[in-house]
Amino acid sequence: MSKEATGTTGLAPTNVSVAAPSPTSEKRRGERMRILALLPDSQPRLAASVSQSCRLPLRPLLRIVCFFGLLGLAAIGLDRTFTFGLRHIQTSEFGASNAIMSGRVNAQVVISGSSRALVHYDPRIIQSITGLSAFNLGRNAAQTDMQWAFLKAYLKHNAKPRVVIHNLDPYSFVLTREVFDPGQYLPYLNEEEIYKPLRQIDPSVWKWKYIPLYGYAVEDMRFTWITAVKRLVGINPREDYFLGYNPRHLHWTGDFERYKSSISAGVKIEIQPQAVKLLEDLAQTCQSQGIQVVFVFAPEYFEMQSLTLNRAEMFSRFQEIADRFKVPFWDYSQSGLCRDRDLFYNSQHMNQEGASLFSSDIARRLSLFNLDQLPNHRRAARNLNAVSPAPSVLER
Amino acid sequence: MLFNSLQFAVFFPLVVALFFSLPQRQRVPMLLTVSCVFYMAFIPAYILILFVTIGIDYVAGIYLEKCRGTARKALLVLSILSTCAVLFVFKYFDFFTSNFVGVANLVGWQLSKPLIHIILPIGLSFHTFQSLSYVVEVYRGKQKAEHDLVTYATYVMFFPQLVAGPIERPQNLIHQFYETQHFDSERITSGLTRMAWGFFKKLVVADRLALYVNDVYAAPQNFNGLQLSLATFFFAYQIYCDFSGYSDIAIGAARVLGFRLMENFDTPYYSKSISEFWHRWHISLSTWFRDYLYIPMGGSRVNQLGWCANILVTFAVSGLWHGANWTYVVWGVLNGVYILAGHTTAGLRARAFTALGLGETNVLRRAVGITSTFLLTCAAWVVFRARNLGDAGYILTHFWRNWDFSSIKTEQFLLRQMPVALGSILFLELVQFLNGRVRLASLVVEAPLVPRWAIYGSFVFLVVLFGVFRNAQFIYFQF
Repeated sequence: MSKEATGTTGLAPTNVSVAAPSPTSEKRRGERMRILALLPDSQPRLAASVSQSCRLPLRPLLRIVCFFGLLGLAAIGLDRTFTFGLRHIQTSEFGASNAIMSGRVNAQVVISGSSRALVHYDPRIIQSITGLSAFNLGRNAAQTDMQWAFLKAYLKHNAKPRVVIHNLDPYSFVLTREVFDPGQYLPYLNEEEIYKPLRQIDPSVWKWKYIPLYGYAVEDMRFTWITAVKRLVGINPREDYFLGYNPRHLHWTGDFERYKSSISAGVKIEIQPQAVKLLEDLAQTCQSQGIQVVFVFAPEYFEMQSLTLNRAEMFSRFQEIADRFKVPFWDYSQSGLCRDRDLFYNSQHMNQEGASLFSSDIARRLSLFNLDQLPNHRRAARNLNAVSPAPSVLER
Repeated sequence: MLFNSLQFAVFFPLVVALFFSLPQRQRVPMLLTVSCVFYMAFIPAYILILFVTIGIDYVAGIYLEKCRGTARKALLVLSILSTCAVLFVFKYFDFFTSNFVGVANLVGWQLSKPLIHIILPIGLSFHTFQSLSYVVEVYRGKQKAEHDLVTYATYVMFFPQLVAGPIERPQNLIHQFYETQHFDSERITSGLTRMAWGFFKKLVVADRLALYVNDVYAAPQNFNGLQLSLATFFFAYQIYCDFSGYSDIAIGAARVLGFRLMENFDTPYYSKSISEFWHRWHISLSTWFRDYLYIPMGGSRVNQLGWCANILVTFAVSGLWHGANWTYVVWGVLNGVYILAGHTTAGLRARAFTALGLGETNVLRRAVGITSTFLLTCAAWVVFRARNLGDAGYILTHFWRNWDFSSIKTEQFLLRQMPVALGSILFLELVQFLNGRVRLASLVVEAPLVPRWAIYGSFVFLVVLFGVFRNAQFIYFQF
């Protein structure tokens, strides 16, 4: 047994150094030998193993710890580097977001909303007709919660706009169910206005923020980190955002026909109380800051309108909120634009040609409000609402 | 618990730290405990099924050693039947009753289907087979019955290979639980390297290719011939990297703890025949079927017809082992047919090659062998992966139709993913090719500290940044 204990059986370690015996170690050894004596003979290997020291060799252990420590530091460094790169992009979607977060926009007219806002409102046209600077905050696949989040971030970093055009959608009363394209949010997680609603959508968003590279590696499927690296070597993405507006040079895709065939009986869109509350918050907060809010329901392809079974209920809620907060509500559902398929690429989104026509109309309508006389007062807002807006040139 | 999950990233270092901190006598109980935790991370209640299997075969092992004669044989049969009954109830009951009722309806009996619709416990076929190999080996006298229940339970439940193998033999694993595993930094580094390579295969190759394969195989009728071909090519790599990746992680994790598990893959796509392929693919299962089914049935020591039957039965059962679906059975039989056809035409092919002046070692001959084996395997994978035999038939008859290079992408798999997918396959092949010539791992280990750590670190970040982390299950978990 003692032979085994000293490692002559081949089971003993070859790389464990044996410390010089001390009174304490001698005492421990004595204890081990007593334990061994109690063990049955049928377990010689176990007995031998008990005799081995359970002490971990410090140097190899430290080396492994050092390696993983360095890996952790490198991960933190890479994460910061990617965020730095993305936050210095000057073009495309990140360019628009960076302009907002760095307070470089300061527009007089701000458009907020989902992808429908993003592709429908051309701020260049609005600027040229109204003479007011404009910027589009629209986000792909964002519902009212994320739309409001970006508007709040805008208001935090930029001068107050005179007007916020908030675009409404069939899904305005539905909360975002899943964070779409997480990469677009990763450089802005330190913005509380963005981080908080993201966490409400997905409680695990804390991992994106606090675990190095988690967001870029685990959540983002679009290799956004490569965009960041490219920026660091001086390559910006191709410019496809113009004052936040993302024109779509597309023709009718046929997605609607497939969708229509799948929901022949129509769809009833949920009205979630939390989403209603968010829309009310948006109107109230802006009005309290003296910002004129205008609700706009941008053109939706007419065939889709009849497929939304609770459309009337939804619009009465829009109108009720608008009335309560004295916000004008411009509904383009009956606009002639809605019947021209050539102006859309699917039922919800207009192409660049449709967006130009629509933006011109919105701009003309906006200019009729004599905005120079609306110096951010509630009274002015009330007047605005009292005035029956001039009929759109595109309305039937 | 999935290897490719955040839980495992926390679980494994804790287990390693705890394992090496404890005295030897506490290590095996500790391994059993953490293995239970590992398994219960899936569906906790299913651990009871494992306990039943363990209980049956533990008792059977002890009595098999004591009994003699007919009683011994009866005990073996009873033990095998009991263990297989668990497998049958959870995995095959619905399949068999559905088919039985279908056949009954055809002959005019009106029966309703007594389906039980239970979720298949993860890795059931693996630990059942591992448990079965124990009782058979005890019966054959090649393994002593294990009297320590904790050790036996740990043999069945050892967490690195619990849910997807390698299916270990008792002679290889049980004695290791009595050995002392020392903290050896070289062995630990080697284990971690093997795990990293497994993660590369799983996260970078398999899970990215899965995005494409899943889209196409979900509705093959919506895709053109090019997409069907590409999806099938991708699936060949997906399943290889998914499963061999799991095995690499399992072998690496066990090695970190000081245990040696058997190798499960040996670059199977470099095989020059289907027969060779099956010596290099899922080795632990192939050898299991060889030792416990094919050879007991007579193997090749019977007449020609009997041998053909043995091959076909073995492969059909192997197919059924993979899943309760006719696609798997047909896949198994197809492989059996390949083997028989390969054997029958071996002489003819050898003569043809010789006539063409291509000797045994000729590169072109090897290339023809490897390519044809790969293509035949891909054709079989179509049947394996398709949702049903109808889809498989559609894919096999539409490979060459309407190749449209302008529509390669799918909904989940955008074009920007293509360079990463193809690049990862090339990288995999390059490493495997080089590894066959020089021991890459040894070269790295022998490098000075700074470049060595730089290589390790770069590889880790390669996996992290190009991997797909969607908690995708390993394909073989469902078996």
